Amino acid sequence: MATPRPTELPRSPVATVRYRVCHETVYDYAHPVTSARQLAHLQPRTTDWQSVFASTVRIDPTPGEQSEGLDYFGNRVLRFAIDGAHERLAVTASSELEVRPHTPTPRCSSPPWHSATRPPLDLMAPGALDIIQFQNGSPMAPALIEAGRYAARSFVGERPWLEAMLDLTCRIKSEFTYDPSATTVSTPVSDVLSRRRGVCQDFAHLMLSALRALRLPARYVSGYIRNDRPAGTSEALTGADASHAWVSAYCPGHGWVDFDPTNGKLADTEFITAAWGRDFSDVTPLRGVVLGEEGQSLEVRVTVRAL
Amino acid sequence: MNHAAAEEMFATYPVAKGCFDELLTGTARPRAHWSALHRELTATSPAHIRDRLGAAERQIREIGITYNVYADPKGHDRPWELDVLPMVISAEEWAAIEQGIAQRARLLNAVLADIYGAQTLLRDGSVPAGLILGHSGFLRAAHGVAVPGGVHLHAYAADLARSPDGRWWVLADRTQAPSGAGYALENRLIVQRIFPDLFRSMRVPHLARFFAAQREALMNFAPRGEGQRGDGPTLTVLLTPGPYNETYFEHAFLARYLGFPLVEGGDLVVRDGCVWLKTIAGLKRVHAILRRQDDSYCDPLELRADSALGVAGLLDCARRGTVLIANALGSGVLESGALLGFLPALSQRLFGEALQMPSVATWWCGQQAALEDAIRNMDHLVFKPADPADAFEPIFGQDLDRGGREALRQRLCARPERFVAQELVRVSQAPVFTHAGAIGARGIGLRVFAVATPAGYAVMPGGLTRVAGRADARVVSMQRGGGSKDTWIQSSAAIDASFTLLHHRVSAGDLIRSGAGITSRVAENLYWFGRYSERCDDTARLLRIVLNPALHDSEDDGNALAPLHALSRRFGLLGEEATSPLAVDRALLAAATTTENPLGLAGNLRQLERVAFNLRDRMSADNWRTINGLTRDPLFGRPLPLSDTLNGLNRIVTSLMTLAGYALDGMTRDHGWRLLSLGRRLERLLFQCLALESALGEGSGSGLGWLLELADSVVTYRSRYLSRPEWLPVLDLLVCDNANPRAIAMQAKGIKDFLHRLEESFGPCGHADFAPAAAALEALDPATDLHPESMRLRSAIRQITTAAYAVNDRLAERFFTHVQSHHWASAGAAVGAGAAVAPDLTTADAA
Repeated sequence: MATPRPTELPRSPVATVRYRVCHETVYDYAHPVTSARQLAHLQPRTTDWQSVFASTVRIDPTPGEQSEGLDYFGNRVLRFAIDGAHERLAVTASSELEVRPHTPTPRCSSPPWHSATRPPLDLMAPGALDIIQFQNGSPMAPALIEAGRYAARSFVGERPWLEAMLDLTCRIKSEFTYDPSATTVSTPVSDVLSRRRGVCQDFAHLMLSALRALRLPARYVSGYIRNDRPAGTSEALTGADASHAWVSAYCPGHGWVDFDPTNGKLADTEFITAAWGRDFSDVTPLRGVVLGEEGQSLEVRVTVRAL
Repeated sequence: MNHAAAEEMFATYPVAKGCFDELLTGTARPRAHWSALHRELTATSPAHIRDRLGAAERQIREIGITYNVYADPKGHDRPWELDVLPMVISAEEWAAIEQGIAQRARLLNAVLADIYGAQTLLRDGSVPAGLILGHSGFLRAAHGVAVPGGVHLHAYAADLARSPDGRWWVLADRTQAPSGAGYALENRLIVQRIFPDLFRSMRVPHLARFFAAQREALMNFAPRGEGQRGDGPTLTVLLTPGPYNETYFEHAFLARYLGFPLVEGGDLVVRDGCVWLKTIAGLKRVHAILRRQDDSYCDPLELRADSALGVAGLLDCARRGTVLIANALGSGVLESGALLGFLPALSQRLFGEALQMPSVATWWCGQQAALEDAIRNMDHLVFKPADPADAFEPIFGQDLDRGGREALRQRLCARPERFVAQELVRVSQAPVFTHAGAIGARGIGLRVFAVATPAGYAVMPGGLTRVAGRADARVVSMQRGGGSKDTWIQSSAAIDASFTLLHHRVSAGDLIRSGAGITSRVAENLYWFGRYSERCDDTARLLRIVLNPALHDSEDDGNALAPLHALSRRFGLLGEEATSPLAVDRALLAAATTTENPLGLAGNLRQLERVAFNLRDRMSADNWRTINGLTRDPLFGRPLPLSDTLNGLNRIVTSLMTLAGYALDGMTRDHGWRLLSLGRRLERLLFQCLALESALGEGSGSGLGWLLELADSVVTYRSRYLSRPEWLPVLDLLVCDNANPRAIAMQAKGIKDFLHRLEESFGPCGHADFAPAAAALEALDPATDLHPESMRLRSAIRQITTAAYAVNDRLAERFFTHVQSHHWASAGAAVGAGAAVAPDLTTADAA
């Protein structure tokens, strides 16, 4: 689905970066699994600012069936099935791609925040239905009134959209604690909000809930951040070494802009987009149904190298 | 019958106030199409009518028509409430309804095709985009799936109500997996038997053609394989969420009537891009699925990951076009009252036609103008969820006080898109029989049904008339304790009464003899049906003997109580704690009459009923009536005097013999029957071995009369020996006699034969492992081995017991759904550092 290209905002002075990403998932089953069907969102999508040169997925054991396609959101999906006993499943996705600068600088001007709550006038325009779709709540990021109340402090009066968005992004970073032990993949947003802790996925869902409660269109982005240290910075970003999640929000006339509430910043060329959807459940990197007795361990390794 | 009595029959029928009266005109005369029924009622004595009512109620109880209500304290089988007075509609009026419903179905199908395709209607504003894109029923994974024949909506139902001015309106559309068509058919079968002459004279059209049309249409639309492995004749299955669903009875009934196997998600599997049914003979290709399961639960891989009911990969099969799913996945999105208001314009926009069957005035509050109107007119409106996922009870504006109105206004303004506002309809009234046996009036609604056929939508001539639970009820609903009626269209045309689904033409290619298509789940239930019916029989016989006071002064000199109590303990009827004679008697009585001991009679009957419930689509009405009679026997419930308890046990034994008779006399000799028989034989063998071991355990001092009675062999023994029971002849009769249906040798021989037959079709099933134990039994020598101290006898009994358990395990492994279906929704990892482990989801395992 084509997205209106942000044209008016000046770009941050970052150069195009070329990456090699390797995302490896290994399941070790306590008992042999007799059959498995899996659905993967592991091959990064091409966007206006991201070109994917090559993307391959290696699966061990070799699946009996395998097919590729695009999902409703235009993400690349891979479906595969393994019939026959196996005690281990390893899925390794390797991609080579380029990310070009596409994010406004924090000081850019933008219209008042509430202008982004108005649905687009021309629904025939490409991508227009997307804006409405992402204004609505979804299973893991419902439009929660209490999340809206939390965000309301950032969205006041005629405050410019970008400023308000950045304020919320930074507030989540400073008012919430990054704590991998606090939540699981299915922790509801209301718990994250009341306990003030979680991981990138939780912060993205919380921010989506808040924005949608205010009727601001926003979508969930699953991807990666570079985990080598870019020259001139002293610290790696939180969420490196694994897949990452952040939020993309829409502003009329400017298009979709990415915000990372986990790191409290705009997301530019150090962020690699894999897939987007309404929330995690739309773009789970690897989901599946297996037949066998209970007991499994999971290991995920992500390496991102700037070339 | 004089005029006064006729008046009396209708004396209790109230004059309609502010609503339309189906029966009477404004001048209190019966309407023309009701006059025949009115005459019939006034010409019949109230006592006679009460008899007919009683007959209908008995029939419903016996057949076991139920409508489950989740968390209903009455349990999972509340009887269907049928009012036997049919609702009558004139032919002219029906013609208009029929046309309107067919048009509406066509329109809704076109809307679905657009939503899951080009989405032009969303872009041009014909349907508010937010209404669909924000609806939980819009399944994105189903977008772009090319459905066979362009049909998304195969089965459609509409809920109609008649307003005071006599016009019919649609209150709601059912597009997901409409229920009720089967209940309508069941009502018809009962009511036409109560008023046979009237039914004929009023020329009421039959329902069978409608179901035939549905069956043929599904076969017609179903994709055909291209010579793939195992691709036999077109196979359509009915997919049910299982016995705990509120309309499971209907699923089983329809499956049997339409001739489709009734399957649960666990019976289906996806391989090579196709859907297959797991049968005891291997996988069979499924071409069409009539689903009664909500779409979001149909595929845990692509839809709700927490669904334990679905078939992983089903959606991808739909995407590949290898299976027809009716209704198409995603069709539930139209079950939103929010859409009703847009349909007239959509009909114009898509067909250039006026909408013939209008919806009751309904507004989606997600639009500003509608929201303002709704708040202004709150008193005259009922507020409902726009998205069925947002389950809240309808809110009647007129019921609210000032505070309530303000609270509702705030809820509406906070999330207006979650509400629809609907004009309140005063529904019409129709005559019903009250429990007092008089005629009263209740509000009614009409659910009508349509199915897609290659020639367009066909509408069921009739429908399910739903009756409000209370005289003043404003909502007509089954879940709220309402009832239902048969619906008669009075027609002038000649009726082709010869048509029934049971007589459809079968060609030579359709002939099925092997019965190898039995699903693994059905096979497992049949086997356990055999085992539990025998176990119930054994339990009842044992209790009948051990509770009988005559035991203490029988002609048999030996001690009978000690071995009987030992057997009762080993069989689980007596716990360790029951040691004193008083405690023993109490525990045995409880085992006979209460469920407090799960291994007691009531507990075992409950297991039998559960297994039978899972087999309901394969049970004849007679069979089911017997099972219902068993579990509802007056023996269970309150404590009875001992004599009544013993009488009750006699009744149970007789009914169980009836049940065994059906299996012997009424079942086709297919592999399913063999598995049932194997279950029965194995159970009987195990029990008889246990009984003998208990007797042998007491040594030669044990009484023997009880042993003969337990094995139903008293008469045979007496006729042969004319003497008191002695060890040698008793052991010969109960262990070695190949002609005694309860002898261990006969069970062993039967088991060997059945295993042999199964092996002819399926390869090794354990015959080779069982045969040596059977041979050891045959090798017993009456001259040396048939006495209580014989070690060879004891060892042969031990050996055959062990072998029987091994056969049980072998059958389970070979034929049943033995794979522990633990599903994991593996979630990958999006949680920054560290691994993500998804919650484990375990499917409910049937056994």
